[in-house]
Amino acid sequence: MFKTVKALAKGLGTTFKALTEPRDTIAYPEKRREYAPRFRGKHMLAKDEDGHELCVGCGLCEAVCPANAIRVVAAEAEPGKPISWTDRYSVDYEVDLIRCIFCGMCEEACPTNAVRLTPFNELAAYSRLDMIADKEELLHPPVRK
Amino acid sequence: MIVDAAAKIGIEVPIYCYHPALGPLGACRMCLVQVEKMPKLVTGCTTPVAEGMVVHTRGPAVDKGRQGILEFLLINHPLDCPVCDKGGECFLQDYTFRYGPPAGRFSESKLERAKDAPISDFILIDQERCVLCQRCVRFLGEYAGEPQLMLKGRGVETVVAPADDRPVTSPFSGNVIDLCPVGALTSAAYRFKARPWNQVRYPSVCPHCPVGCPVTVTAREEHVMRVEGRPIPDRDWGWLCDRGRFGYDFAVHPSRLLTARLEGRPVPEAAALRQVARWLGEVRDRYGAGAVGFVVGGQHTVEDAYHLRRFAETLVGPGVQLAISQRVRGYLPPWLHGTYDDLEAADAVILIGADPYRAVPVLHLKLRQHWRRKPALPRWGVGVRPLGRETLPLRDLVVRPQAMAATLAWALQRAAKDHPAARAVAAGLGAWEPEDPAAAEALGHVLVASERPLLVWDGHDPEVETVLRALASVRGDRPTPVLPGFGPENARGFEWAGFPGGYEALRRLLEQAASGAIRFLAVWGADLMREVPDAGLVEAALARVEYAVFEGLFPPQGGERFGVWLPGAAWAEEAGTWSTLEGRLSPVAEAVAPPGDARPVRSILAGLARALKRPWTPEAWDPMVGTEAGLLPRPQRPEAEDLPSIAAPPPWRLAGDQLYVVAEADVFAQGAPSEILAPRRPAFWGRVHPETWAAFGSGPSGGRLTLEREGRRWTVSVGPDPTVPRGLLFLPIGVAEAPVYQIGEGPVTVAQPLEVRGG
Repeated sequence: MFKTVKALAKGLGTTFKALTEPRDTIAYPEKRREYAPRFRGKHMLAKDEDGHELCVGCGLCEAVCPANAIRVVAAEAEPGKPISWTDRYSVDYEVDLIRCIFCGMCEEACPTNAVRLTPFNELAAYSRLDMIADKEELLHPPVRK
Repeated sequence: MIVDAAAKIGIEVPIYCYHPALGPLGACRMCLVQVEKMPKLVTGCTTPVAEGMVVHTRGPAVDKGRQGILEFLLINHPLDCPVCDKGGECFLQDYTFRYGPPAGRFSESKLERAKDAPISDFILIDQERCVLCQRCVRFLGEYAGEPQLMLKGRGVETVVAPADDRPVTSPFSGNVIDLCPVGALTSAAYRFKARPWNQVRYPSVCPHCPVGCPVTVTAREEHVMRVEGRPIPDRDWGWLCDRGRFGYDFAVHPSRLLTARLEGRPVPEAAALRQVARWLGEVRDRYGAGAVGFVVGGQHTVEDAYHLRRFAETLVGPGVQLAISQRVRGYLPPWLHGTYDDLEAADAVILIGADPYRAVPVLHLKLRQHWRRKPALPRWGVGVRPLGRETLPLRDLVVRPQAMAATLAWALQRAAKDHPAARAVAAGLGAWEPEDPAAAEALGHVLVASERPLLVWDGHDPEVETVLRALASVRGDRPTPVLPGFGPENARGFEWAGFPGGYEALRRLLEQAASGAIRFLAVWGADLMREVPDAGLVEAALARVEYAVFEGLFPPQGGERFGVWLPGAAWAEEAGTWSTLEGRLSPVAEAVAPPGDARPVRSILAGLARALKRPWTPEAWDPMVGTEAGLLPRPQRPEAEDLPSIAAPPPWRLAGDQLYVVAEADVFAQGAPSEILAPRRPAFWGRVHPETWAAFGSGPSGGRLTLEREGRRWTVSVGPDPTVPRGLLFLPIGVAEAPVYQIGEGPVTVAQPLEVRGG
C-alpha cells in the first residue's frame, strides 16, 4: 500500500516538475519557429530592380543538381520584349520538390544569383504533381530572400 | 608536327588555330611548348618533330607561357558563358580552367564589338568571343575554296567578318560552327535551344543525299536539337553540307503525316492496318503472291528493307514483286562501285555528268582536297553543261543531251581500237563523231591509260553503264572504280537487304502494275510521282492497281490514288543501318521517339501480320555480317560479257519556241522539307542560259515560264544561270512545284512568257 503511494507520488512529482519547466515544442501553426538566415527551404527565382528576371536559363543548376530535380528550357526573347536582363531567358523552370534534397548546390552554381533557397519549408500537397514548382510559382514565393 | 605526335601518344597540347585538315598556321600561340636546345618556347603546331627532339608540354616555362596567352585572349572576352551556346563544350573555357591564370589583371573596360550578328541565315557571329584563330576563314577560303569570311582591321581591332559585307552563301558554311573552338560562330537554329550537358549525342548518318556523311544527332526531350559532323579517325573529317546540318527539322515539319488515313479520312492506325490486311489477303488468296508489289525508298534503314522482304516472302508468298524506288534510269553494277580510298589513290578523276557540288556536296569537298594535293593530275568533266568550277577546275567536255554514252563509247573506241569490248559498244555509232573529237580522244586516252582513275557518274543516261562495263573490260585487271553520285539514299543497303537494285526492276514492277498483273501495290517511303523518271508510267500504274498503300513521312504527290496512308518513323526515330556513297554500312541511332501515330516499319508489319491472323515477328538480322568493317563486298568483275552497242544519237534539233528539259539532282531542292533551310532553297527552280531567258522570259532576275507538251501545261519558276548552255532548261529532281519527270525530259514548247517576279 505504502509502496504504491510512493510510486504514485514520484510519478506525479515528475509530471508537476515538468509543468513548470520551459517547453521544447511550439504551438504550430499559431506559433512558428525562427530559422537560421541560411536555412535552405523552397526555391525562388529572383528579379532585378527593373523587374527583369535574373535567370538566363543557362542550365548550370540543372547540371549541378545531384537529385536531377531541376529542368530548365531556355529561349530567346523577342526583340524589344526582354523577359530577363539579357535576350536569353528560361521559358521553363521546374523544381521537383519531392526529388529535391535541398542541398543548395543550384544556388551556389547560379552565375546570376537568380535561384535562391528561401527559409520557407511548408511543403505539402495532395498530389505529386503539385509538388513540382513551375516558374510562375518560383517567381512568386511566399517568403522572399 | 609536335601537336600531332603528342596527340598520338595521348598527351594534350592545347590548340585553337591548328586543325589537321587545314594545316599549320601558328596564329593563336596556344600550343607553346618547350623544346630543349631551343632558346624560347615554340609553337607545337608549326614545329615538325625531329629525331632526338626533347619536348616538354608542361613545366614552369610552358605553364607561364600558356597563362600569358590565355590572359591576353580573355582581355576583351565578354565572359558571358551563361548565355553562350558554346558554354560547356568551349575550348576557351576548358583551357582557361586547366591552364589559365587564377585571375586577370585587366581592369579597364572591354572593347565592344558585334554580338550575335548574322553572317548568313544560319550562322551568327559574336566578335567579342572570337580568339582570331582563323579556322573559319581558312576553312572557307582554302579548304572549300569560297573565301567568304575574312579578317578585317589591324591589331586589337582585328575581327572576323564576311567578305564584302555579303552574307556567306557557301553550302559548306555550317562547318565553321563545328570548327570554331570558342563561341564566336554559333548556329542560329540551335540558338539557346539546349546546353551540351542536357542533351544526348547519338552517332548517325545524314539521310539527305546519297553521300551519307557521319553525323552526331543530339536530342533533348524527344526533339532533335542539332546535327553536327562526326569525324572518324583516318577516314572522314566529319564535314557536312548545310543541307545535312540544318535540314533536321523535317521531322517536326507541319506537313508531316501523323495519323493514318483511309481514303483521305483520318482513322486509327489499327483500322488502317486491318483494311490493308483485308486487301492484301484478298489479292494474295485470289491472284497469288505475284499480284503483290512492294516498292521501298525514302528514309528506311537496311533492317526495314530486310523486314519488308521477309514479310513479303513469308506472309505474301514467294513470287512477290520487289523494287527500289529510283531517281535516275542508270544503275551502277556493284562490282564497279568505288570507295573513298580509290579517290585517295586516284591518278585521274573523271566526272560523268555528275556535278558533286549540287548533287553530293561533301564528295565535292573530297574531290577538291584531292585536287589541292595533286593539282597536276588529269581531271575531266563530261556533261551537258560545264562541270568545272573555280573550286574544282576540270577540263570540260560539253556534250549534247543524249550524246553522253555515244561520246564516251566513241572516246573509248578511239583509245582502245583493238579491244573487242570497245569495238562492240561503238559498233552502232557508224560515222558519228562527237562535237569535239580531239577532246574526246584525249579523254578516252585518260580513261584507258591511267593506272587508277576515279569516275563519278550521275546515273542520268542508262547507256553509260554499258560503256563503263566495256571500259572495265578494256582496262582488264586494273581497277575502274566508279562512285555513284545519284540516289536514292541507302540504295545499296536496300540491295543488301535483298531488294533487286536498278531502274529495270522498278520499271518492270510498274509496268506489271499498269498492265493489271499487280493488283496490290505498297509503297514504303518513296514518293514515286515526284522522283521516278517515268512519271507517266507511275501514274498509269497507280491508276490501274486495285489497292495502293503508302507509308512515309509526308503526303505523297498524287496521294489520292493511295487508299491508305500510314505514317512512318523518320530517320533518327528508328535505330538501324544505313549505306553510304562508297557502299559502307554505318549504324544510325534512334534519338527521339516517332511523333503521333508514326511507327517504324517493323511495328507496322507486325500489326499487319496480326490483322492477317498469321504469327510473324520481325527476325533479328545483323547486316554487318558478311561485310568488311561495314564495307559491302564487291563482286568479281564478270568475265567477257556481250555488250550491246550504243546507237548514234539523233541530230540535235530544237525549234525556236522550244527548250530542252534536263533533270538534275540538287540537294538543296530535293528531299524532305525544312523550315530552317527555307532561305537556302533556290530562288527559281529552273535554270536557263541568260540569253535563253532573255528570249523567253522578261525581267532580269527570273520569273515564270509555262511549258507545254501534248496539251498539258506546267508553270515553273525559271532564272538565268550563265553556266547552262543555250536552249537547255535544268530542273531539279523531286520538287513538286517543278515536276521535271511529269513534264518529261527532252524538248518542250514554251507556251507563253509571263512575268510574275523580276525587276
